[in-house]
Amino acid sequence: MKPASFEYVRPETLNDAVRALDHDDAKIIAGGQSLVPMMNFRLVQPERLVDINRIEALTPIVQTDSGVRVGALTRHVEAECHPLLKEHFPIISEAMACVAHVAIRNRGTIAGSLCHADPSAEWPLLLIVLNGEIEILGGAGSRMVTPNEFFLAPLMTEIAETELVTGVHFPLPPFSCGMAFEEVSWRAGDFAVVAAAALVSIKRDRFAEVRLALGGVFDTPVRATALEEGLVGQSANLDEIEAVVSLAAKDLEPNDDPHASAGYRLSLVPVLARRVLARALERAAS
Amino acid sequence: MTDTLPYIRPKYIGQSIQRLEDSRLLTGRGRYTADRKVPRMAHLAFVRSDQAYARICNIDTEEAKVLTGVIGVFTASDFAHIPDITAPSKMLNYHATFCPVLARDFVRYVGEPVVAILAVNRYVAEDAAALIEVDYDPRDVAVTARAASDPTAPRLHDSLESNTVCSRQFLAGDCATAIDAAAHVVSGQFSMTRKTSVSIEPRAYVAEYESDKDMLTLHSATNIPGIVRDEIGRLLGLRGNKFRVVTADVGGSFGGKGSLYPEEVIVCDLAWRLERSVKYVSDRMEDIIASSQAFGEEVEATLAFDENGHFIALKADILGDIGAYSIYPWTAALEPVQVASFMPGPYRIPHYSATVRGVCTPKPPTGPYRGVGRPMAVLALERLVDKAASTLGLSPTDIRRRNLIKADEFPHRIGSGIIWNRSGFHECLTAAEDAVALTALQAERADRTEKWVGIGFASYAELTGIGSRIAVAPGMPMNTGAETATIRIDATGAISAVFAISSHGQSLETTLAQIVAEELGVLPEDVNVIQGDTSLTPHGTGTYASRSAVIGGGVAVNATRALLVKVKRVAATLFGVKPSDIQTGNGNIFVPNTNYSIDFPEIARVVYSDMSTLPQEARVTLEVQETYDPIFGTTTSATHVAIVEIDPETLYIKLRRLFVAEDCGRLINPLVVDGQVHGGVAQGIGAALLEDLKFDDAGQPITATLADYRVPTSAEVPDLEVVHIEAELPDNPGGFRGMGEGGTIGAPAAIANAVTDALSHLGIEVNALPITPSKLHALIALRQDEIDRSNE
Ligand SMILES: Cc1cc2nc3c(=O)[nH]c(=O)nc-3n(C[C@H](O)[C@H](O)[C@H](O)COP(=O)(O)OP(=O)(O)OC[C@H]3O[C@@H](n4cnc5c(N)ncnc54)[C@H](O)[C@@H]3O)c2cc1C
Repeated sequence: MKPASFEYVRPETLNDAVRALDHDDAKIIAGGQSLVPMMNFRLVQPERLVDINRIEALTPIVQTDSGVRVGALTRHVEAECHPLLKEHFPIISEAMACVAHVAIRNRGTIAGSLCHADPSAEWPLLLIVLNGEIEILGGAGSRMVTPNEFFLAPLMTEIAETELVTGVHFPLPPFSCGMAFEEVSWRAGDFAVVAAAALVSIKRDRFAEVRLALGGVFDTPVRATALEEGLVGQSANLDEIEAVVSLAAKDLEPNDDPHASAGYRLSLVPVLARRVLARALERAAS
Repeated sequence: MTDTLPYIRPKYIGQSIQRLEDSRLLTGRGRYTADRKVPRMAHLAFVRSDQAYARICNIDTEEAKVLTGVIGVFTASDFAHIPDITAPSKMLNYHATFCPVLARDFVRYVGEPVVAILAVNRYVAEDAAALIEVDYDPRDVAVTARAASDPTAPRLHDSLESNTVCSRQFLAGDCATAIDAAAHVVSGQFSMTRKTSVSIEPRAYVAEYESDKDMLTLHSATNIPGIVRDEIGRLLGLRGNKFRVVTADVGGSFGGKGSLYPEEVIVCDLAWRLERSVKYVSDRMEDIIASSQAFGEEVEATLAFDENGHFIALKADILGDIGAYSIYPWTAALEPVQVASFMPGPYRIPHYSATVRGVCTPKPPTGPYRGVGRPMAVLALERLVDKAASTLGLSPTDIRRRNLIKADEFPHRIGSGIIWNRSGFHECLTAAEDAVALTALQAERADRTEKWVGIGFASYAELTGIGSRIAVAPGMPMNTGAETATIRIDATGAISAVFAISSHGQSLETTLAQIVAEELGVLPEDVNVIQGDTSLTPHGTGTYASRSAVIGGGVAVNATRALLVKVKRVAATLFGVKPSDIQTGNGNIFVPNTNYSIDFPEIARVVYSDMSTLPQEARVTLEVQETYDPIFGTTTSATHVAIVEIDPETLYIKLRRLFVAEDCGRLINPLVVDGQVHGGVAQGIGAALLEDLKFDDAGQPITATLADYRVPTSAEVPDLEVVHIEAELPDNPGGFRGMGEGGTIGAPAAIANAVTDALSHLGIEVNALPITPSKLHALIALRQDEIDRSNE
């Protein structure tokens, strides 16, 4: 379990990073928590490793006009504890507590998780429930990408090998809003079997906006649009939630895997949907 | 005259003293095999089979051989001088297998070593491994034990008549008639899946060649250094003057480091032939797919009982999935036969019959794993006991109390022939019952809205510290029943105690020091326990089968007592008193209420260095060597109770409490005993709820990483509650019983019973472990189907 040999470069600026990536078979290393195991199994054998950990421009978490910009190198543990994120997006802290173990959260980064694109991972789910956008830099300049465009398949995204993620934008959530996250995993710290994240906002006692995202049930995390549409405009109470939860699993066809049957995964969807929607509603109301 | 109190020597046995090895191990100063670095050390990597069963057509090593840094590339033909590894046994109906150190002509499991590459470092060795191409011609094979047991199934070894490498029957009384005549009968099919050990330290070997002495030392992360020395010595034609096995600190074994491995033989052979040191450290994936596995058994069993819930007869049919080869030295019979041996458990069951078969499958060989066979036996029996209880409407504790062997019935011979001596069977059950406050739980069990709560009991007995009359594995021609210890006081007055056991986490440096210290009258920290070096002892096998406290501890008692006689004789001559007047304690040798007192350095000086004080014939070497063999063994027993709660929606199974009441005789160090129970129970929890080595239909392992093979973490293990019972001490020296494995033996059955209890309103039984939420989901769906169909 030793990696094949590789060249190692450690640029200090974004420009140098982009230049370093302009090379056959270059790969970025951030926290290394997903990449290094894959290299040790020789599943990936990059010729050049571009270590972005020294690039200061990738670290800050700052308030912007429209929300919060989270630097690509933000560690899971920083996101879990950051006051700005806790204030506007308490769901991030709630979800980060379920990501792996402390040692891994100390190293793993938001962009690393997004680019690794595990369909059960927490960050991709948060991105879609919070309507976040990904900021990507390449030789041709910077661009913004929505999660729908970004996630293509398990472990596949639309970012080019010569580009890097520089940050993630989270727009401020609507008023009178509540959020909640819950997952079922086999052990504390394991990847979720199924994860659910909800955001609801209430206006005049009705659901004004409903977002429900599910992980672990499809190639990429998905929004339960049928359920969302069914709930918007309804009275903001538990009965209405109950009436639509079965829609959460609509059109989902999860796969069997050695650890969880498709049927079991599917059975978790309405359960988790109800729980996160109910908790989000409670929080929106208080 | 002043009153004089009788002198009482300080007691160390029974004290929770801090482990002597802790300061070293907890501050990163332990020395493990992988830490060894010596000049010109070459590193070994293997190309392993990626096929379950195939003929090797061609191996292309050309590119690898010429890679810079590669020292040599070896295939089976390079080891033609080494006999195949084969485990002999006198057991009837046993057929040995022949395991070449590198696969020759055929591969028989994914992970079997095929090519060995020696290079200047492990990176280069793995680069070279990636350049090697092996052409395989896959063969038909039966992957499951059930399929492989079919007489028409393709055979894994052409040299054998069938895949069944061992079979045996047990018969006591007239089981068939008794079952037919019984008022009630319960039966079921029970199974556990394969497990791997997951020691923190994977297997590691460094063979060091010393050119000045033309001698080879194998530093091995093994728990059987004596067995490894003897057998590799035999295979390579080296005797103890040329070959030595040393175990430094070993980071756990749980059985996985308790057999002889081909990699170990290769490391030694290459070092000896090339006259340079060779290192092999397995990585985690190799450790999972190519170390011995265990627990893969199916049991079909029936229990017959009368109207009062008294057991009458037990019948069992046991099928063991033993893997590709019969492992050295334990053989393939080790685990499946043990299931049958322990099936009747701690109960009075007049009639018993069992059949056992061990079947070859294209998977890694099975070997010892904490609990060996007993977890499966206890699961099957304790599920049947609960089923019997619910048939009659008895409580789980009632039915056990009615059938557990009583204090005045020992010694009791069970249907398999094992003899239980007095142990706290009833006392453990009562302690467990008292601890869980059953009545308070009833309300919670009845209210099923938020949680399904269940409680499960499991009582068991096991034989530990097995002496020479009983082979640890059936028919194994090897004496595992004796231990030799040498205890000496050197010229500086320091005490060393040399054993052939091999601690790999059992805290034997501490517990044996406690015994020697108490018996001799010194402080535990004054005793240097030396172990795990074959050059220091004439014979010895190692640490396994819950033997070291009983046999190692027993010989420590005997040898220290013999040494004390010598010490007293010398001191008596010095002081001019009778030896019986002499006392020792706290490092002093003295006559109470006098000023006659010297310490151990002083007596050593007088004996070894002072040529005038004592007459020459009184200057005896303060050293004793003793051998102890308990002939039979001693009975350890326990009752485990598990309380689980299941989320009715997600079916997540949470183990809320796990309580253990156990009788391991006299505790040497309660801290250590608790630690052993905790670790054992954690593995039992893994076996019950998480750990499962899965293979696909082609025999490919699909849980070969720690992401897929899930061991419990501290988050999945509740605070464990342990109560120690000393019902009546056994008569072996020290009164110790073995207890290293018990945690793993009782917990799985207790948890299975608890989950079944939690599901009682659905009429679902958990008879196959591990049970997971996903499997529960399937069981509930199946049950619903049954109900729907019967309603139609
Ligand atoms: C035992 C264990 C358990 C885990 N459990 C969980 C869990 O429960 N939930 C979960 O979500 N994750 C889990 N993880 C994964 C963890 O969260 C990783 O930290 C994360 O997936 C990857 O982040 P990283 O910074 O370590 O990325 P790296 O491993 O460094 O990189 C991952 C991939 O992203 C690319 N990359 C990294 N940064 C950038 C960038 N700025 N721009 C473009 N590409 C980039 C790399 O090239 C690589 O392809 C677990 C990991 C381990 C080891």
